[in-house]
Amino acid sequence: MKDELFTMMGEMPAMSPELLARMREEANRNLLRMKHFGEMVMNPKEPKVGPTPRQEIFRTNKSRLWRYESRRTIRTPLLFVPNLGISRPYIFDLMPKGSFVEHMTQQGFDFYLVDWGVFGEEDNGLTVEAAVTRILPRLARKALESSGASEMSVLGYCMGAPLSASFVATHPDFPLKNYINMAGPIDFAHVGLFGKWLAPGVFDVDKYVDTLGSIPAEMVKMGFKLLKPTMDVSTNLNLWWNLWNPDYVSGFNALNKWANEYLPFPGEFFRQWVRDFYQQNKLIKGELMMAGRRVDLREIRCPVLAVGAKEDNIAPPACVKPLIDAVSTRDKEYVELPGGHISLIAGRGASVHCWPKVSSWLAARS
Amino acid sequence: MADNPSQQLLDMWKRQVEEGTQAWLRMMGQAQAPTSAPNMGMDPQAFWRPFMDQGMAAWSKVMTQGTAPSPDLMAQWKQFLDQWIAAWSRVLEQAMGTDNFAQLLGKQLEGFLNVSAPIKKAAEQQIDASLAGLGIPSRAQVVALARHVAQVEEKIDALEDTLNRILRRLPDAGAPRTERA
Repeated sequence: MKDELFTMMGEMPAMSPELLARMREEANRNLLRMKHFGEMVMNPKEPKVGPTPRQEIFRTNKSRLWRYESRRTIRTPLLFVPNLGISRPYIFDLMPKGSFVEHMTQQGFDFYLVDWGVFGEEDNGLTVEAAVTRILPRLARKALESSGASEMSVLGYCMGAPLSASFVATHPDFPLKNYINMAGPIDFAHVGLFGKWLAPGVFDVDKYVDTLGSIPAEMVKMGFKLLKPTMDVSTNLNLWWNLWNPDYVSGFNALNKWANEYLPFPGEFFRQWVRDFYQQNKLIKGELMMAGRRVDLREIRCPVLAVGAKEDNIAPPACVKPLIDAVSTRDKEYVELPGGHISLIAGRGASVHCWPKVSSWLAARS
Repeated sequence: MADNPSQQLLDMWKRQVEEGTQAWLRMMGQAQAPTSAPNMGMDPQAFWRPFMDQGMAAWSKVMTQGTAPSPDLMAQWKQFLDQWIAAWSRVLEQAMGTDNFAQLLGKQLEGFLNVSAPIKKAAEQQIDASLAGLGIPSRAQVVALARHVAQVEEKIDALEDTLNRILRRLPDAGAPRTERA
């Protein structure tokens, strides 16, 4: 038997030193894969997220306003408005050298983050209108007061874009310097699969909200998982492939923590969000009413940048771009960058494509 | 058909995948007659066939020619899986983008609500009765209390807003005086 084995080994074709070195490297990677897999299973570590120093400026009910201070080489501060519900905002400050917040503060912007918070059953009466006309103006004013600046730029990401656009369009007294829509749906006629699934006649939002009260985090998770059913398979495949690399593993742990923390929607917020935006597309049609005022996007008269992501299946470029035609300004630009809805703003690709584009566009106008 | 057992195994697996895809297509009601130029929009086989054949060729080479195993093989296999997942992702996205799927999903959700609503109501009544028996506030009462607190906070914020507006209008008031962090 021993002789047979040696005979088999002897019959193997001769290997070049280069091939041998690569095989050794692959074997080494496999050992590291096993080591890191063992650590992930046997001794999982809670990833540290949100590394950039910050200060709470204001709090109202569940919502908070955070300030990330910079050297302030750029005069106009930035107010960042993310989505309400769905996920937590630490994705924008995920880890050192992997943080949009860190990038912007390093570029000299004072950065104010709206953290909508985690709403409970007691907040089921909160509507989109209340978020836009009561919470957001208050947080924006506090940011302005805290900065001491006379003007402020606003950046809306994802759902934060239609919310913040509605806010700035109905508050002409707010000293808006620049406005950025990053992967935010504006024309819901082109909003992709969610648009189909939430269409009138298909999705009875009233029955849904009346029965459940709020939209549980598990339901939100199910909707997003359904949007890309192969996501978990490809994520795990990529993890296995890169498991030898400790940097990849720490990045994966942080992103995975975020990706599995879904947040619920307050019931009335969800009702208005689905009905007015997804089903009736009132924002782009100019039919949306907030506190008795029509939301007219033509009221946005400052420089505007819209950023779409080529692979975005939550807010496809076709529903982001129409903001450009809807606003009343000559200084406007639309860019379409590589990546998906999340990778547009978080991750290695974002640090190459998106962050420098946003910071340089803003810096030139701030 | 190759005589090599490994090749036979791979051929068998390939055949099974093809048959599985056709069965899936039939299930989705999208089965089409085979044509010489498959419609890239509707036939999932058209997505995966090129890289499937490429992957098979690479594996066959390794299995049948007895070449030394190379680390490139792993990279090829990873690429093969990536492309396969991407192809299926596109196929699923197409299937889920149909009106039929949306209607089906809507009906599933409605069915879930129809079942869960009475269960939820009964469970709440049962829990409320038990808590009342023990003299403990019910969930609804705690929620109502929390709602009241939030409303009081909202009123204070609104008062502060009003006060600040008035102060700003005063000629020598300067910056707002009320601050509440």
